[in-house]
Amino acid sequence: MQLMRQGDARAFEIIYERHASAAFSLAYRMVGTRSAAEDVTQEAFVAIWRSGSRYDRARGSVRTWVLGIVHHRAIDALRRTFVRERGRTSEEGLADRLEAGERTEVEAARREESRTIRAAMDTLPSEQAQVIELAYFGGFTHVEIAEMIEAPVGTVKGRMRLGLEKLRNRLGEGMAVG
Amino acid sequence: MSAADHREWRESAGAYVLDALPADERAAFEAHLAGCAACREDIEQLRVAADALPASAPPVAPPPELKARIMAVVESEAALLAAAGERADRPERPERRRRRWSLRTLSPALAAGLAALLVGVGVAGGLVIGGGSDVERTVAAQVEDPSMSMRLAVRDEDSTLEGRGLPAPPPGRVYQVWVEDEDGRVVGTDALFGPARDGHAMVVVPGSLENASRVMVSDEPRGGSRAPTGHVLAVITL
Repeated sequence: MQLMRQGDARAFEIIYERHASAAFSLAYRMVGTRSAAEDVTQEAFVAIWRSGSRYDRARGSVRTWVLGIVHHRAIDALRRTFVRERGRTSEEGLADRLEAGERTEVEAARREESRTIRAAMDTLPSEQAQVIELAYFGGFTHVEIAEMIEAPVGTVKGRMRLGLEKLRNRLGEGMAVG
Repeated sequence: MSAADHREWRESAGAYVLDALPADERAAFEAHLAGCAACREDIEQLRVAADALPASAPPVAPPPELKARIMAVVESEAALLAAAGERADRPERPERRRRRWSLRTLSPALAAGLAALLVGVGVAGGLVIGGGSDVERTVAAQVEDPSMSMRLAVRDEDSTLEGRGLPAPPPGRVYQVWVEDEDGRVVGTDALFGPARDGHAMVVVPGSLENASRVMVSDEPRGGSRAPTGHVLAVITL
């Protein structure tokens, strides 16, 4: 990170190599098309290059920082354009999805981690998983979600909180998933 | 703060870590967080779960062309930064600036833009050159070509940027105005423009520049960009 702060393109390239797959996967999951995901990922990594000095190690790992920027860019994209219609279709699996091959141990581990977290999500009550999915991956505010599912905003916020608490506990237990 | 108030805020913690609070509610919640250790602790706990969510996305391989596109931007900016060298990094005369800065403290994008200006033909200082009735002050831009000039008339709201002798932007592109705040965050404005045949242009920079440290002009695709991508024409240091 120090080298990237000094404008070292090779240092940036290492960051890209390490995190591009997770970043693109998150962007694709949120915006639902490859072209929109490419735009979001490109915007995010260029922003990362230009703002490397604002990475604060005390506030989390580089990966969390990178994915946080991707998440914000994807939300911006969702909130400013019609691509918000995409999320629902990506849930069902698009024909053009190209899953990363399990060519390396790192990719295999990432795939396993993905399965573990999805399995933990599956243990949540459906109404809690629903509001978390709509908020995090759909980019909707709690007010929009309340309108969509016709529930009071207080209920939506409560479900988000309870769902996250349970998810944290499940992950903390290192739950066995099949 | 009453216990009832706290309970109400506490319910927002999940929405906060999911980025699901509307902007005004988010700002109010962050103000509450500043004075509430219990809610800060809550946030830390819930963030563990929220930070795990991106890893649940099914892995999808990014195309190789994406890396090529991103690295093209990065390498061109890194080259400009390196080319600027010590000349661009020299300290400014103190009376010309309200705040001290150097190329190394700038984001690479702004540094690259500024470097391009400093290695150009001439530098016109960011001097305060006057004021009108509702104009707080007028500030001249640093420009790369001494045959052109730009100056910003700063007002409480809706400042005005005027340019003379401006070259036409490249085909298919327009000039866009950017504002950098004191935290170094660069925000694109809706101020898109092109000069008249005689090189004259005037454009309103919307909103207040109270917290702005710099205003910049670059050429961008029609419709503007979300982050500067083109050649930087002028930098105005406030």
